[in-house]
This record gives sequence, structure tokens and C-alpha cells, in this order.
Amino acid sequence: MNRQARLKRMNIGALTGIAAAAFTASLPVAAHHSFSAEFDAAKEIRATGAVTKLDWQNPHGWIHMTVTEICERTAARGPDAVEQEWACRSPAGDEKGADWAFELGSPNGLMRQGWTRNSLKQGDVITVLGSRARDGSTNSNARSVTMADGKRLFAGSSEGATP
Amino acid sequence: MPKTKTTLTCIIALAWTAGASAQWAPVPDPKLPRDAEGNVRMDAPTPKTAAGTPDLSGLWMRTRSGPPPENAGGGGGGQLEPEQAPVPLDPNGPPIAAFFEAGQNIEGGLPYTPWAKELRDRRFALRAKDNPDAQCLPMGFLQFHQQPQPRQIIQTDKMILIVYEANYGLRYIYLDGRELPPQGEPQPYWYGYSVGHWDGNDLVVETNNLRGADEDSPYDGWMDVNGSPYTRQAKFTERFRRPTLGHLQIDLTIEDPKAYTKPWTVRVDQRLLPDQELIEFVCNENQQFERRIQLNQEPASEPSSTP
Repeated sequence: MNRQARLKRMNIGALTGIAAAAFTASLPVAAHHSFSAEFDAAKEIRATGAVTKLDWQNPHGWIHMTVTEICERTAARGPDAVEQEWACRSPAGDEKGADWAFELGSPNGLMRQGWTRNSLKQGDVITVLGSRARDGSTNSNARSVTMADGKRLFAGSSEGATP
Repeated sequence: MPKTKTTLTCIIALAWTAGASAQWAPVPDPKLPRDAEGNVRMDAPTPKTAAGTPDLSGLWMRTRSGPPPENAGGGGGGQLEPEQAPVPLDPNGPPIAAFFEAGQNIEGGLPYTPWAKELRDRRFALRAKDNPDAQCLPMGFLQFHQQPQPRQIIQTDKMILIVYEANYGLRYIYLDGRELPPQGEPQPYWYGYSVGHWDGNDLVVETNNLRGADEDSPYDGWMDVNGSPYTRQAKFTERFRRPTLGHLQIDLTIEDPKAYTKPWTVRVDQRLLPDQELIEFVCNENQQFERRIQLNQEPASEPSSTP
């Protein structure tokens, strides 16, 4: 099976099986870089794909993934703002390719949120919500990560399971 | 993509927050008062030292008593920490400090001198890329007090240490009765020179001899994320008090005639993080922020509290 097909199959499998073990991890946003210098909070991104690598390092962890779907929209700002619809596309044929990277918080903050360096493994299919880099690259800042994790690394799931 | 949307809704409905299960195992402190369920009684009386002064020791997280923190939800920046119940707001206290814009809750904003206003606006237009926190450097006290990473206060009769998880910051506050040195005598330091004395239940800490925004480095003398400056002339007076076991309150006053036309005071509230410990944060490990940013796009514009 070629890589693209494999990813596609994993994606579908994950999206059907995800509910049993999924959780949404909110990410601590430590301020040890200038968020606004690097990322544009107005440019929201939602990406689904398979993890290729987790960089568990300071001052920020990074998730590297091969995306199967990229959705973008302008962030709704202010109390009266209307939430926009996502505009979604396949990365196939995208000149930037399908390899994207998402910045996390720092390992100390992530640990307080229940993460470990083993929370994501190569091939895990995840959906990341975040903000795109100002430089138009395939870097983004992750605000939340929704994981498909049959191994239930963490306590407190909706099923009351504990590791 | 209706299918994806439905699935995501389903995920969110079943979601739980990973914060409920910290992987750094808590170490229960047998000295802390607890209720029948074993929860620490945060409203218990202020601990005292053998000498009879309040004991400020503990691991502290910034919290809030005033209006909700800026940037709460709504596109970007995310939340700095899980939402907590606020500590009681004292309506007669000074304005509550804000992390991005120190004077956000001061009527009319901070009393900048023209020099300071120009510098602050220049820093802001560069999207705060020179904020010392962005460079893994020590921050100004007000930013350190509000940083979302915790800090450990270690109090002895002679000295207080504040160990910041953020950027491995370390502050010494001497309690042995020594005088504050004249401004400009010790070399300027990132943390300045701090002496403290007790005024009733308040620990009054005075600091001078700080590096300031009038140094050559662009990273010196930042009050807040947006770039409000302080200078080598700055004198800080902080009043630390611990109204209950679980609540630390810091009123910070700055006198700095080069940067501000009059002194101003803001309040920071912190909550005890019982049974927890500092976790290593070696910020410089792979700091590549400067390499990634591009500043040749449209300049940043107000509102200033936008991350």
C-alpha cells in the first residue's frame, strides 16, 4: 500500500473508532516566544493527519504530521463575531505538500496537562486546531489536539478508564 | 465535510481534559490542612514561621480576582491555564494587573512619558519579538509574577528565594535588615538588588539597580508582553501578603520618572499549587524562534491586548 493510501485508511479508521478513546487536550500556551511575531491568531487552521514525529523539547514541542485534510477560516473575534465556516481541502497537489508542523507548549506545561513524550506515536491520526504562521509556511501553533489513542494513556476518560 | 463535522462533534461530546491526570506524580504535603476528602483547605489560616512572621513559602500559580483574563477564548493565543475560580476581589485594592498590557485595568492606561510611549509603541510594532521571555531571558518582575508557569517561594529568616519555572529565573530578597544600596552602585542586574522587611503581615520588598530599557540590549526593561518599559532609574516596591493558606497577593508599585510621569500600582493574585513541584524547563534547549519569524509584513496594530 502506498503511503497516501495507508494514511487515508488510517484516517477513516481513526474517525470511526475515535470516540471510544479520544480526548481533547487543551494546550498550555506559555509565552516564552512572541506568539504574535510568529503566528496569526486570525488565521485558524484545523488539520487532520498522521503523526510522523513528536519533538519533545524546549522551549516548545512540535508535532510533525502528514496531513490528509487542511481546513482554514478567519477567526471569529469579539463578542458579536459570527463563527465562519471552515474551508477544507486535500493537500494533494498543494505546492506546500502534505508535511506540516504544529507547535506545542513546553514539556513541563504539557506534563501538567497530562502529556508525556509517548503521548503521540508515529502513525497516530490526530486533528489539530490552531493558528497559522505569519510567514505562510506549513508551521502552525496548536491550540488543541484531538487524538485517537486506543491505548488510553491517561486517566479520566469518559469511560472512567484508568491506565 | 459533514461526516467529519459530525465525528468531531461526537469527539467533543465525549472529550475529557487531560489536565485531570498530571503525569508528574503529586507529593502530598503532610503539613497542609485538609478536609475529610483529603483536599487542601485553601481558606485555612496563613502559615507562620517560628519567628512569628507570615510564611510565604510554597508553589504558586498566577490566578485572578478581577475581570476575566484578556484573550480568554475566541481565536488565538489559547488559554494560558485551565480556568480557575477567582480569588475574592477587593474593590478598594489597586487595579488588577494584566499579562499583556500592564495598565489594562488602569483608567487612562499607564502614565507614560513621551519617551516611554514611543519605545513601547516601537516594541509593539515589532510584535514584541524582543520580549525577554521570547528570548529565554529573565523577565521584569510584573511579567514574572503573572507568567503562567509556577514559581516556588523559599523563605528563611535571612532571605527569600523565588525560583521561577519560567526561564529558570531566580530572585534573592535579603531579609537581614541591610539597606537598599544607592541607585547605580552595584552593576545593573537583571534581577536588581532586593531587600525586604515586614510591615505587619505585609512583606515589603524594595528593589533598585536593575538593568533597564536604556541599556544597549533591546531585551532589557520590559514590564509586560506588549513592551511597557522600565529604566535604570526604576525603583520597585512590592507588598507580598498571604491572606489565607491558598492565596498570595502582590501589590507592585513602580517609581521611574524617566518612563512614567507618576508612580503606579497594580495587583497580582496567585494561588497555592499544593502537593506539586517545579518541573524543569531548560528554555534554551532548542530556541529557534528568531530564525522562524518574519517581521517584514504589515506592522502590528492595536488593540494591544491581542496576542
